[in-house]
Amino acid sequence: MPSRRRPWFTLVRKEWRELLASRAWWVLMLVIGPLVGVAFIGAVRIYAEASAAGGTAAGVGEAFSPLDGIWAPTFAAYEIAATFLLPFVAIRLAGGDRQSGALKLEHQHPLPPLLRIAAKVLVLLAGWCIAGIPALLAIVLWKLYGGSLYGPEVASVALGHLLNAGLTIALAAAIASIAENPSTAAILALAFTVGTWILGFIASLRGGFWQQIAGLTPEAMLDSFQDGLVQLDAVLVTVVFGMSALVMAAVWIRLGVSRRRRGLESALVVAAAAALVAGAARLRPSWDLSENRRNSFPEADQRALAGIRTPLRIEVHLAPEDPRRSDLEHQTLSKLRRAMPAIDVRYVSATSTGLFEQAGSGYGEIRYDLGGRKAVNRLTTQEGVLETIYDLAGIPVPQEADPAFAGHPLAAQPAGAAAVFFGFWPASAGALGFFVLRRKS
Amino acid sequence: MKPIVEVTGLSKRYGSFVALDNVGFSIRRGEILGLIGPNGAGKTTLFECLAGVQPADGGSVAFAGAAQRKDILFYLPDGIAPWPDQPVEWALQFMLDFFGGRRELYDEVSGSLEIEPLRRKRMRELSLGQRKRALLALALLTPQPVLLIDEPLEGLDLRQSREVARTLRRHAALGRTLFLSIHQIVDAGRFCDRFVLLSGGRVCGEGTAEELAAAAASRPGAAPPADFEEVFLALT
Repeated sequence: MPSRRRPWFTLVRKEWRELLASRAWWVLMLVIGPLVGVAFIGAVRIYAEASAAGGTAAGVGEAFSPLDGIWAPTFAAYEIAATFLLPFVAIRLAGGDRQSGALKLEHQHPLPPLLRIAAKVLVLLAGWCIAGIPALLAIVLWKLYGGSLYGPEVASVALGHLLNAGLTIALAAAIASIAENPSTAAILALAFTVGTWILGFIASLRGGFWQQIAGLTPEAMLDSFQDGLVQLDAVLVTVVFGMSALVMAAVWIRLGVSRRRRGLESALVVAAAAALVAGAARLRPSWDLSENRRNSFPEADQRALAGIRTPLRIEVHLAPEDPRRSDLEHQTLSKLRRAMPAIDVRYVSATSTGLFEQAGSGYGEIRYDLGGRKAVNRLTTQEGVLETIYDLAGIPVPQEADPAFAGHPLAAQPAGAAAVFFGFWPASAGALGFFVLRRKS
Repeated sequence: MKPIVEVTGLSKRYGSFVALDNVGFSIRRGEILGLIGPNGAGKTTLFECLAGVQPADGGSVAFAGAAQRKDILFYLPDGIAPWPDQPVEWALQFMLDFFGGRRELYDEVSGSLEIEPLRRKRMRELSLGQRKRALLALALLTPQPVLLIDEPLEGLDLRQSREVARTLRRHAALGRTLFLSIHQIVDAGRFCDRFVLLSGGRVCGEGTAEELAAAAASRPGAAPPADFEEVFLALT
């Protein structure tokens, strides 16, 4: 049997040439520098203003975390690029062969369709990594300004955006394989993006089931990475979605197979993906990579909470749009889920705003049940919740506190950044693109 | 001689429209077999079903020695413009590398199809005739012993048609089996060894020009056909 490696590498080289010949990719390359530049320069200026003023209302330590102040906004440029540019690059590469008729020729090689799709995705990811160079330039500039760089939290943000890009590429490849032509695929890709926004909007109004579903969208996944939190479930769910989209693309890129059969195979892929996502979403391990440990309680509390083995059930009677619910979730419950081995949090509300529920006697209550021992109060602060749990568990409130995060104020102006992102980068990318697109060998 | 490809009862429908109806014929090793039929006869559908580009609804395609389809057949569709941004030279090299094609034929194919002046042109920059020559070169460099070529003479002028016909003949003489879909009956009659006549998705005749002429003449009340066009008209 002939080796599959050589044809596959030939295909990878071909896909690479096709990417380089793609105007869509060069547009992405041209635009990504200024996009990162706008985000980075704006972030450095605000950071400098806040540093000169000695802090913000959020507290000195939190205000001067480069994760919040610099890296989350700078890398947000990649979220924009992944939403509005990358899908078209991927659709062009994945769907171009079908449109030109090249697929009918390549299809006649016995290489499995999944390997064909893998070649495209690999090349697209490599292209995305090259588009990551402006982010590296931002890191270099930040260091040159004397800024603090905490590697793990930057790595967390970068990993989130890489996973988001991988998922975008896989979904675009699947859509391009299913759609008859690239323009239909582009519309479907945009519809998917808009669909996730609508889902997020509904989730914010309705909460509950919708919130759980919205938690699986790329935006929700990115949020936790931008907080320096790497959650195994988020990583695995993204990988499962991405792999399922790849398999779906492989199912639909095949020629000579009836639509009915491909439809049945797609249903199997969806069922398998749903089962895997349901399993992956139950996994609890996570890693707080932020320098100021913003996703965790103080060490002493973490140890004390981890020692409570009795299952804890918390019922929160707050509507989805009640700001107290948002504070409680982000400041306390999300940390509690990471700290306690057995916890079940439920939100109960009859309306989305809670405006007309507030007259009810139970509205605003937080009901605790720790192995049959119960407590009810309305405290939504971190201290209030933890004290209630310690009280129910019959353990003393830990007294040791973590040393305060001092933060890294830096009142530096983004010197040279405009020249790099608005001058050097577009000129280099434009010249290189012009040369490569004109090449005839 | 045992056929290299045996097609039996092949059928294909698009909704209620019957594109292929119980099609059966055989392809013999080393021959040039012409698939002749009017527009809409089902020629392209037949090729695509044979090549596995479209699923057939019924029937079977058997290959000599129980070989796999992809080891035996290579199908060159009509009207495609693959890898539009890549130069012709790259496309030829890609086919050689990807399919493990016949490198020893490169110079001969390139010369006979006048590819040299096109080498550095991008595929999208080629005229219809130039693209047809480049695509024929791609197909002739593949390793499969049977080539299915949809409209090999489409877009070519008289001189180019004759040169392409000579090239295809030469490759057939070297052992390549060619199955060509041609709607120009005079062209087909000139250089095919045998013919499959297709009309309305049905095979109306299969054989050499003489065999088909005899079949046409044997029809009740029919006069002996004067040329191959009349044979075709009589049988379809």
